[in-house]
Amino acid sequence: MPSSLGFPYKVAIGLALIIGMDTFVQLIWKVAALSLPETPSLDAIGAVINQPLFLVVAGLMICQLFIWLSVLGEADLSFAQPFFSISRITVCLASAYILAERITPQQMAGIALVCAGAWCISRTARNTIPGADERP
Amino acid sequence: MTHTAVGILLVVLSSLIEGLGEISFKKSRLQRQRQVFWVLLGVAIFVVQMSVYTAALRFLAVGAAFAMASLSFVFVALLSKYLLREAVTPVKWLGIALIMAGTSLIGAYA
Repeated sequence: MPSSLGFPYKVAIGLALIIGMDTFVQLIWKVAALSLPETPSLDAIGAVINQPLFLVVAGLMICQLFIWLSVLGEADLSFAQPFFSISRITVCLASAYILAERITPQQMAGIALVCAGAWCISRTARNTIPGADERP
Repeated sequence: MTHTAVGILLVVLSSLIEGLGEISFKKSRLQRQRQVFWVLLGVAIFVVQMSVYTAALRFLAVGAAFAMASLSFVFVALLSKYLLREAVTPVKWLGIALIMAGTSLIGAYA
């Protein structure tokens, strides 16, 4: 049975930062997108370039990439990637709180399922030890 | 082929491409001597993925596309298992199934 003992602080902190940044990015993106013209045109491209919020989004995405690479140095991809789904919960909650969007009962059920899934994955080993699954 | 079918096909393709991008990022950590190559490949793959997903949004409602995009969790698990030889245990599959169901509900009712 492959295993990695001890609480993975570096992985947990990295994932928390990525999820926090992702939530922030999604909210800023939405606010910035609302400032763009409705029809695609050259004016819209100019508006994107001139909208400082899109630069903030781009900067945060680059930061996320570096943190994500450091998390991948510590954990299996199949372990770490599903935790990204938590950002869908935080975006849903933050948009309800900040943008006054409504959360439906079905979405609340979805949030509970995502939490249960993330908990299941947190119970598994974060790193595969090569050859650990092979029987002699 | 109907517009909806084209949209579904594009979301599935986008999820598969996302999985390949994630594999590239993980490879950058496993093969340090080719780190820059794998990171740049991963970024390029994500640019393609975003284009395919954007195209899918022309044929599908955002909620439906967002829900179906959770297929990327399955593709990442399968690709990690077969390309990276990671251990994907039944508990991990259960977690992925719960997350897929949850994100589908969140997206479908957005």
